[in-house]
Amino acid sequence: MREHPGIRAVLPQRYPMLLVDRILELDPRRSIRTVKAVTATEPCYAGLPEDAEPWRYHYPPALLIESFGQSAALLWLDGHAPAADDGLTLMFVGATEFVFEGGVLPGDVLIHTVRLDNVIAGTAFASGETWAGTRRVARVTTLVATRRPVPHLTGPADASAVAAGPGPAQRSREGSR
Amino acid sequence: MTTQETQLEALRELVAEVLEIDPEELTDTGDFIDDYEADSLRAIEILARIDKQYKVEIPQAELPLLRNLKAVHEALLQYSGQG
Repeated sequence: MREHPGIRAVLPQRYPMLLVDRILELDPRRSIRTVKAVTATEPCYAGLPEDAEPWRYHYPPALLIESFGQSAALLWLDGHAPAADDGLTLMFVGATEFVFEGGVLPGDVLIHTVRLDNVIAGTAFASGETWAGTRRVARVTTLVATRRPVPHLTGPADASAVAAGPGPAQRSREGSR
Repeated sequence: MTTQETQLEALRELVAEVLEIDPEELTDTGDFIDDYEADSLRAIEILARIDKQYKVEIPQAELPLLRNLKAVHEALLQYSGQG
Protein backbone atom coordinates (compact mmCIF):
# COMPACT_ATOMS: atom_id res chain seq x y z
CA MET A 1 0.00 0.00 0.00
CA ARG A 2 1.19 3.48 -0.81
CA GLU A 3 -0.13 6.64 0.82
CA HIS A 4 -0.68 10.09 -0.59
CA PRO A 5 2.90 11.44 -0.50
CA GLY A 6 3.92 8.57 -2.77
CA ILE A 7 1.23 9.63 -5.23
CA ARG A 8 2.16 13.31 -5.14
CA ALA A 9 5.75 12.36 -5.87
CA VAL A 10 4.73 10.72 -9.15
CA LEU A 11 1.78 12.67 -10.53
CA PRO A 12 2.07 16.32 -11.59
CA GLN A 13 -1.57 17.11 -10.71
CA ARG A 14 -2.39 19.08 -7.55
CA TYR A 15 -5.48 20.23 -5.69
CA PRO A 16 -8.21 20.20 -6.82
CA MET A 17 -7.26 17.92 -9.69
CA LEU A 18 -5.19 15.29 -7.91
CA LEU A 19 -7.87 12.61 -7.83
CA VAL A 20 -6.19 9.54 -6.36
CA ASP A 21 -5.98 9.16 -2.58
CA ARG A 22 -4.16 5.89 -2.05
CA ILE A 23 -2.58 2.96 -3.88
CA LEU A 24 -3.82 -0.35 -2.50
CA GLU A 25 -1.81 -2.67 -4.73
CA LEU A 26 0.67 -2.16 -7.51
CA ASP A 27 1.79 -5.08 -9.65
CA PRO A 28 4.43 -3.35 -11.79
CA ARG A 29 3.62 -3.11 -15.49
CA ARG A 30 0.52 -5.27 -15.00
CA SER A 31 -2.15 -3.83 -12.71
CA ILE A 32 -2.98 -1.38 -9.97
CA ARG A 33 -5.78 -0.86 -7.45
CA THR A 34 -6.34 2.66 -6.18
CA VAL A 35 -8.76 4.53 -3.93
CA LYS A 36 -10.56 7.80 -4.53
CA ALA A 37 -12.92 8.83 -1.75
CA VAL A 38 -15.72 11.16 -2.84
CA THR A 39 -16.88 13.62 -0.20
CA ALA A 40 -19.45 16.40 -0.03
CA THR A 41 -16.60 18.89 0.33
CA GLU A 42 -15.36 18.25 -3.22
CA PRO A 43 -15.11 21.53 -5.16
CA CYS A 44 -17.59 20.14 -7.72
CA TYR A 45 -20.35 20.44 -5.10
CA ALA A 46 -19.37 23.90 -3.83
CA GLY A 47 -21.71 25.89 -6.05
CA LEU A 48 -24.82 23.77 -5.60
CA PRO A 49 -27.88 25.68 -4.40
CA GLU A 50 -29.72 24.60 -1.26
CA ASP A 51 -32.60 23.18 -3.29
CA ALA A 52 -30.40 21.26 -5.77
CA GLU A 53 -32.06 18.14 -7.14
CA PRO A 54 -30.57 14.85 -5.83
CA TRP A 55 -29.09 13.91 -9.22
CA ARG A 56 -26.89 16.99 -9.11
CA TYR A 57 -24.89 15.32 -6.35
CA HIS A 58 -23.74 12.62 -8.74
CA TYR A 59 -19.96 12.77 -9.03
CA PRO A 60 -19.10 14.15 -12.49
CA PRO A 61 -18.16 11.38 -14.95
CA ALA A 62 -15.34 13.56 -16.34
CA LEU A 63 -13.70 13.57 -12.90
CA LEU A 64 -14.15 9.82 -12.55
CA ILE A 65 -12.38 9.37 -15.91
CA GLU A 66 -9.61 11.69 -14.73
CA SER A 67 -9.25 9.75 -11.48
CA PHE A 68 -9.11 6.47 -13.42
CA GLY A 69 -6.58 7.99 -15.83
CA GLN A 70 -4.36 9.15 -12.97
CA SER A 71 -4.48 5.62 -11.57
CA ALA A 72 -3.40 4.31 -14.98
CA ALA A 73 -0.55 6.84 -14.99
CA LEU A 74 0.62 5.64 -11.56
CA LEU A 75 0.68 2.10 -12.92
CA TRP A 76 2.42 3.07 -16.14
CA LEU A 77 5.06 5.13 -14.34
CA ASP A 78 5.39 2.23 -11.92
CA GLY A 79 5.14 4.51 -8.91
CA HIS A 80 8.28 6.39 -9.93
CA ALA A 81 8.32 10.03 -10.94
CA PRO A 82 9.70 10.61 -14.44
CA ALA A 83 12.79 12.82 -14.66
CA ALA A 84 11.58 16.39 -14.33
CA ASP A 85 13.85 17.56 -17.12
CA ASP A 86 12.85 15.06 -19.77
CA GLY A 87 10.56 17.71 -21.31
CA LEU A 88 7.64 15.31 -21.65
CA THR A 89 4.14 16.06 -20.45
CA LEU A 90 1.82 13.32 -19.33
CA MET A 91 -1.51 13.61 -21.11
CA PHE A 92 -4.78 11.82 -21.51
CA VAL A 93 -5.38 11.02 -25.16
CA GLY A 94 -8.79 9.41 -25.09
CA ALA A 95 -10.82 6.39 -24.19
CA THR A 96 -12.91 3.84 -26.05
CA GLU A 97 -16.06 2.43 -24.49
CA PHE A 98 -15.93 4.21 -21.14
CA VAL A 99 -19.26 2.97 -19.80
CA PHE A 100 -20.95 4.35 -16.69
CA GLU A 101 -23.06 1.78 -14.94
CA GLY A 102 -24.11 3.54 -11.77
CA GLY A 103 -24.11 6.88 -10.03
CA VAL A 104 -21.48 7.96 -7.51
CA LEU A 105 -22.44 10.12 -4.54
CA PRO A 106 -20.66 11.86 -1.67
CA GLY A 107 -19.67 9.12 0.77
CA ASP A 108 -18.79 6.60 -1.92
CA VAL A 109 -15.28 5.21 -1.87
CA LEU A 110 -14.21 4.42 -5.41
CA ILE A 111 -11.82 1.59 -6.12
CA HIS A 112 -10.19 1.69 -9.54
CA THR A 113 -8.81 -1.57 -10.90
CA VAL A 114 -6.58 -0.80 -13.87
CA ARG A 115 -4.71 -3.17 -16.14
CA LEU A 116 -1.86 -1.99 -18.37
CA ASP A 117 -2.49 -3.73 -21.69
CA ASN A 118 0.28 -2.29 -23.79
CA VAL A 119 2.94 0.39 -24.08
CA ILE A 120 3.96 1.30 -27.61
CA ALA A 121 6.21 4.21 -28.56
CA GLY A 122 5.68 6.12 -25.32
CA THR A 123 1.94 5.60 -25.38
CA ALA A 124 0.10 3.49 -22.80
CA PHE A 125 -3.10 1.51 -23.30
CA ALA A 126 -5.06 0.52 -20.20
CA SER A 127 -8.42 -1.02 -19.33
CA GLY A 128 -10.33 -1.69 -16.14
CA GLU A 129 -13.23 -1.03 -13.84
CA THR A 130 -14.32 1.31 -11.07
CA TRP A 131 -16.22 -0.01 -8.07
CA ALA A 132 -18.12 1.63 -5.21
CA GLY A 133 -18.26 -1.17 -2.66
CA THR A 134 -19.80 -4.16 -4.42
CA ARG A 135 -21.29 -2.02 -7.19
CA ARG A 136 -19.39 -1.65 -10.44
CA VAL A 137 -19.97 1.96 -11.46
CA ALA A 138 -17.81 2.17 -14.60
CA ARG A 139 -15.69 0.15 -16.98
CA VAL A 140 -13.42 1.04 -19.87
CA THR A 141 -12.20 -1.07 -22.77
CA THR A 142 -9.26 1.14 -23.71
CA LEU A 143 -7.84 4.27 -22.15
CA VAL A 144 -4.93 5.88 -23.96
CA ALA A 145 -2.30 8.10 -22.35
CA THR A 146 0.94 9.43 -23.71
CA ARG A 147 3.97 11.48 -22.77
CA ARG A 148 4.88 14.07 -25.36
CA PRO A 149 6.90 17.26 -25.59
CA VAL A 150 4.56 20.23 -25.24
CA PRO A 151 6.69 23.39 -25.48
CA HIS A 152 3.83 25.83 -24.91
CA LEU A 153 3.09 24.36 -21.48
CA THR A 154 6.64 24.67 -20.24
CA GLY A 155 7.73 28.02 -21.61
CA PRO A 156 6.69 31.17 -23.44
CA ALA A 157 4.78 30.66 -26.66
CA ASP A 158 7.06 30.04 -29.61
CA ALA A 159 5.79 32.04 -32.58
CA SER A 160 7.22 29.60 -35.13
CA ALA A 161 5.53 26.64 -33.42
CA VAL A 162 2.21 28.46 -33.47
CA ALA A 163 2.65 29.33 -37.14
CA ALA A 164 3.33 25.68 -37.94
CA GLY A 165 -0.02 24.67 -36.52
CA PRO A 166 -0.87 22.18 -33.84
CA GLY A 167 1.36 19.16 -33.44
CA PRO A 168 0.09 15.62 -33.04
CA ALA A 169 -0.20 15.91 -29.28
CA GLN A 170 -2.30 19.04 -29.37
CA ARG A 171 -4.60 17.56 -31.98
CA SER A 172 -5.16 14.40 -30.01
CA ARG A 173 -8.61 13.43 -28.95
CA GLU A 174 -10.00 14.61 -25.68
CA GLY A 175 -12.73 13.02 -23.69
CA SER A 176 -14.40 9.74 -24.41
CA ARG A 177 -16.05 8.54 -27.53
CA MET B 1 -13.25 -14.58 -50.06
CA THR B 2 -9.85 -16.02 -49.26
CA THR B 3 -8.60 -16.03 -45.68
CA GLN B 4 -6.37 -13.07 -46.46
CA GLU B 5 -9.25 -11.10 -47.98
CA THR B 6 -11.42 -11.81 -44.95
CA GLN B 7 -8.58 -10.70 -42.71
CA LEU B 8 -8.15 -7.52 -44.75
CA GLU B 9 -11.82 -6.66 -44.32
CA ALA B 10 -11.63 -7.28 -40.55
CA LEU B 11 -8.56 -5.08 -40.45
CA ARG B 12 -10.37 -2.39 -42.46
CA GLU B 13 -13.01 -2.26 -39.73
CA LEU B 14 -10.41 -2.11 -36.98
CA VAL B 15 -8.47 0.71 -38.66
CA ALA B 16 -11.61 2.63 -39.62
CA GLU B 17 -12.73 2.56 -36.00
CA VAL B 18 -9.42 4.03 -34.87
CA LEU B 19 -9.57 6.70 -37.59
CA GLU B 20 -13.23 7.35 -36.71
CA ILE B 21 -14.47 6.89 -40.27
CA ASP B 22 -16.77 4.38 -41.98
CA PRO B 23 -15.02 1.20 -43.22
CA GLU B 24 -16.37 1.96 -46.72
CA GLU B 25 -14.45 5.24 -46.70
CA LEU B 26 -11.14 3.54 -46.01
CA THR B 27 -9.39 2.53 -49.22
CA ASP B 28 -6.44 0.14 -49.36
CA THR B 29 -3.93 2.82 -50.26
CA GLY B 30 -5.47 6.00 -48.79
CA ASP B 31 -2.85 7.74 -46.65
CA PHE B 32 -3.88 7.84 -42.97
CA ILE B 33 -2.33 11.23 -42.40
CA ASP B 34 -2.86 13.00 -45.73
CA ASP B 35 -6.24 11.52 -46.66
CA TYR B 36 -7.85 10.79 -43.28
CA GLU B 37 -6.35 13.51 -41.09
CA ALA B 38 -4.86 11.02 -38.65
CA ASP B 39 -1.97 11.92 -36.38
CA SER B 40 0.97 9.82 -35.25
CA LEU B 41 -0.95 8.55 -32.22
CA ARG B 42 -3.50 6.81 -34.42
CA ALA B 43 -0.88 4.52 -35.97
CA ILE B 44 0.25 3.62 -32.44
CA GLU B 45 -3.35 2.87 -31.50
CA ILE B 46 -3.69 0.62 -34.56
CA LEU B 47 -0.65 -1.38 -33.41
CA ALA B 48 -2.08 -1.70 -29.91
CA ARG B 49 -5.41 -2.97 -31.24
CA ILE B 50 -3.73 -5.49 -33.54
CA ASP B 51 -1.72 -6.73 -30.57
CA LYS B 52 -4.89 -7.05 -28.47
CA GLN B 53 -7.10 -8.61 -31.15
CA TYR B 54 -4.66 -10.79 -33.11
CA LYS B 55 -1.95 -11.28 -30.48
CA VAL B 56 0.54 -10.15 -33.10
CA GLU B 57 3.28 -7.73 -32.11
CA ILE B 58 4.34 -5.45 -34.93
CA PRO B 59 7.57 -3.69 -33.85
CA GLN B 60 7.26 0.04 -33.31
CA ALA B 61 10.14 0.53 -35.75
CA GLU B 62 7.56 -0.24 -38.45
CA LEU B 63 5.40 2.72 -37.42
CA PRO B 64 6.67 5.19 -40.05
CA LEU B 65 5.82 2.69 -42.80
CA LEU B 66 2.26 2.04 -41.66
CA ARG B 67 0.71 4.85 -43.66
CA ASN B 68 -2.16 2.96 -45.32
CA LEU B 69 -4.32 -0.12 -44.86
CA LYS B 70 -2.32 -2.19 -47.35
CA ALA B 71 0.91 -1.55 -45.42
CA VAL B 72 -0.75 -2.46 -42.11
CA HIS B 73 -2.12 -5.67 -43.62
CA GLU B 74 1.28 -6.63 -45.03
CA ALA B 75 2.90 -5.99 -41.65
CA LEU B 76 0.23 -8.10 -39.94
CA LEU B 77 0.85 -10.97 -42.38
CA GLN B 78 4.60 -10.66 -41.97
CA TYR B 79 4.63 -10.63 -38.18
CA SER B 80 1.98 -13.32 -37.79
CA GLY B 81 4.09 -15.64 -39.90
CA GLN B 82 1.67 -15.66 -42.86
CA GLY B 83 3.67 -13.29 -45.06
